[in-house]
Amino acid sequence: MSKRSDMTKTHNWSGQKLVSTDHLLFEAPRTKHFMTGSEVLKEAVKRCTVDASVSYPITPQSEAAHLIGELWAEGYVGTYFRGENEFGVMSEVAGCAMAGARTITTTSGPGTLRAMENFAMWSGTRAPMQLVLMARGINSPLTIQPDNLEVQYLLETGMMIWYAENVQELFDMSIAAFTVSEKPDVHVPIVTVVDGFFVSHTREAVMLPEDDIALHPYDPYAAPLPPIDSEMPPGRFLRDPFVMKSNYISYATHASWQWEVRSAVERSRPYAEHYLKGLVHTSGSEDAEIAFIACGTAANQAKEAQRELNKMGVKTKVIKLRTIRPFPEKELLAALEGVKHAFVPEFNVVGWLSNEVKHTLYGKCDTEIVCGPRVAGGMSMPAEAIIQEVMEIVNAGKGA
Amino acid sequence: MSIDKYKINPEFRDIMPQEIIDLEEKATWAQNQDKLRGIKELPETKEILEEHSLCAGCPEAMALRYVLSSLPNPEDTIIVNSTGCTSLMFPHIALHTVHSLFGNQNAVASGIKRVLEWRFPDTVKDVVVLAGDGATVDIGLDYTLQSFFRQEKITTLCFDNEVYANTGGQESGATAKGQVFKMAPTGKKFEKVPMWELATTSGCHYSVNMTASAPKAVAKAVREAILIAREIGPTFINIYTPCILEIGLSANEGLGEMKDQDKDRFKSYKHVSPEAEAFLAKCKEEGLL
Amino acid sequence: MAKESIKVRLPGLGGQGAVTAAHIAATAADTEGYYAVSNPFFGAEKRMAPSESYVRIGTVPIYDRGEVIYPDIVMIFHPQVITMGKSYTMPFYAGVKENGLVIINSDTDLLSETDKKILDNLNVKVLTKDFTQFAIEQAGTELATNMAMLGALFGALGTVSKPAIEEGIKDRFLKKYTASGGTATLDSVIEKKFKKKQELIQKNLDTASAAFDLTAAWAKEVGFEQILEAPKK
Repeated sequence: MSKRSDMTKTHNWSGQKLVSTDHLLFEAPRTKHFMTGSEVLKEAVKRCTVDASVSYPITPQSEAAHLIGELWAEGYVGTYFRGENEFGVMSEVAGCAMAGARTITTTSGPGTLRAMENFAMWSGTRAPMQLVLMARGINSPLTIQPDNLEVQYLLETGMMIWYAENVQELFDMSIAAFTVSEKPDVHVPIVTVVDGFFVSHTREAVMLPEDDIALHPYDPYAAPLPPIDSEMPPGRFLRDPFVMKSNYISYATHASWQWEVRSAVERSRPYAEHYLKGLVHTSGSEDAEIAFIACGTAANQAKEAQRELNKMGVKTKVIKLRTIRPFPEKELLAALEGVKHAFVPEFNVVGWLSNEVKHTLYGKCDTEIVCGPRVAGGMSMPAEAIIQEVMEIVNAGKGA
Repeated sequence: MSIDKYKINPEFRDIMPQEIIDLEEKATWAQNQDKLRGIKELPETKEILEEHSLCAGCPEAMALRYVLSSLPNPEDTIIVNSTGCTSLMFPHIALHTVHSLFGNQNAVASGIKRVLEWRFPDTVKDVVVLAGDGATVDIGLDYTLQSFFRQEKITTLCFDNEVYANTGGQESGATAKGQVFKMAPTGKKFEKVPMWELATTSGCHYSVNMTASAPKAVAKAVREAILIAREIGPTFINIYTPCILEIGLSANEGLGEMKDQDKDRFKSYKHVSPEAEAFLAKCKEEGLL
Repeated sequence: MAKESIKVRLPGLGGQGAVTAAHIAATAADTEGYYAVSNPFFGAEKRMAPSESYVRIGTVPIYDRGEVIYPDIVMIFHPQVITMGKSYTMPFYAGVKENGLVIINSDTDLLSETDKKILDNLNVKVLTKDFTQFAIEQAGTELATNMAMLGALFGALGTVSKPAIEEGIKDRFLKKYTASGGTATLDSVIEKKFKKKQELIQKNLDTASAAFDLTAAWAKEVGFEQILEAPKK
């Protein structure tokens, strides 16, 4: 276990050289490794000068959570423990972040729902904790397989939501997430979503920088609200049940605070653009009239379908959304120029992404949005299923 | 944090109301930081709790005054409270307080305490939980007991009025068997949960059950609990602070009710672990008690 | 120009029975043949802290809900609402409509010159009277202050009869009533005061009735025009 006082101006408490986020993400030389999403999260946290983490087991994030524990035993993470259940864990995380720690935690599916009451509180507290969400199906009935319905529940909690497609993206995004959420004009919690099993337990090639460098530590005194550490006079934002002063003061405060949280999420755009190199990544044929709008594993599957369709003479493009909150409206509209049909493949029953796409694009775009294909309950989505949907549109005028 | 941190921003000093300037220039509680503060400071140290928005004669408000006057280091104390009547007192005090949801107060306190130990290993920072019986015994039982299992170095104070008062008077786990309250129209069917015993078996090194009838007794218990939590492990105090509104008493009848209960449901209970006992003896020698 | 519906705001202090008054008022209006809705403010209850309730009465269905932000009538149950600002609106008459009415329970004039000018410009009439003292004289307890205020409201309105008010009072005190903790405590305190419930009802009625007559006479004297049209029978 380390001591925070071992940190110097140039090196953190585990002796890693402090570097800028740009250096860690874009400049430092990288070597190839082969590992799972869970393992790569350990690598990311290792290079992030993390003060605190709290964990609890639930499939499929248990590994990532216990690997962060190893980092604590090895001296990289300042303080770590196992909480009693996800609701407790998220409250403990809130305490850590409020007291000025760079804090990370993980959960999945039923765990997310169990913790739910905490998330709107996190945003309202304006603390920059990171939640790595390894999506898995929600009961009932029970499924431990990948299904990202839980993201729907988080959409209006006031947190930023980013979506990583694969092991490489999970590494880079979870590092960038700390930096962007800690910007003083942002300073709201961030959720880095990644699909359970498809990424957490899948081994693939990933490029990593050396582990003797790490991010500069979090400075809680650059925050827009004072940390709860008795080193500064207290802020009133948590303590005042405004309703006791006057209902009208309470309404006005609550409403304006809620707006401010959402404005903060909007203010993250330029930073997210910089560190993610764009809120939307497009691949495939530039001038395609058929597109796929997707995030996470659905984008992977769409890329497979795009490649096969191309061989069949059907030009398509994949528009991968990297952030869900803030929603990349401008970028999506630009990518849909000239697109006649856009498919939104998803891993959940309700189609939350196609709902987001439709209500954002309403009145602004002529593209026909096809809400599918969709699978749920943890099913895999083979490219063949996507191709079949596309061919129904392509062949529609040509008969069966 | 030193008293120096509680200073008005010089840019704004000329537009500050006189009472705020007085707070800084004439803060009485700051003057005697070097000697032991206690109940005797109450009449003069108004800044810690100048006024409160609870009912006239509320025993919780009385008890809070005793608690605040007995904090060994108020300028380095963080109070984590919970929804309920207790949370209504906090906008009026000058300390760092955190209000977070309902029942999760010990979880939040655990996170805060651990990070403060990580960030300031050489400074004493006390984390004190102050919540009602509903928050501690019902909705928060899991998180309260688990913080004790984990041996978190925090002090937990339960203002036990044996009812959910702020929501209009519903039965709580701490209600006595047979008592009629909302949601128990024919009387509570099971016994009052002995939270002070649960605290002992769950790992608290100091657990007390008492009423707030005697200011000095409350102050002594709070001070002992906080000192033990600094070095040894979790501590718990259950304090009877009846809701005069819900049990039909008038503003000046709260004290009498507490005195009655000293002999009944709140007959004195005190558990001190051997480690804590030895530590308290040391504190006495050093003049901390 | 009597309106088809009016809104009443009743700011008081916890423990005075402002909420009870609102419910009785609505029940009485309903008995009289009006559409009526009553509700308390949504907040925690505490003795002597601000406590507000609202009544809406009309000859047309009432859809409006929540707090009354633009009242026709404001009834201040305690001087501290004004002197200590124990009110959810500042000033206490914020939002009051033209040709409206303000009733203040106080033994002294609490309005500033500015207040009077503003209310005058709106043609809002103000009745300041020590209704607490009145209640003590009529019923022997200050807990009947809200009954006096109720009587005053209907005396000024002129279109809800005393039998309807009696119905409202009986409904509240004779039937099983879902009350909050604080209200239930005060109910039992009042019950202990009167040997029989009937005596309680009668004293309340008498107090309301006396205040009704007093205010009706006052309204005539100051030229307060009928503000709400009579119910359609």
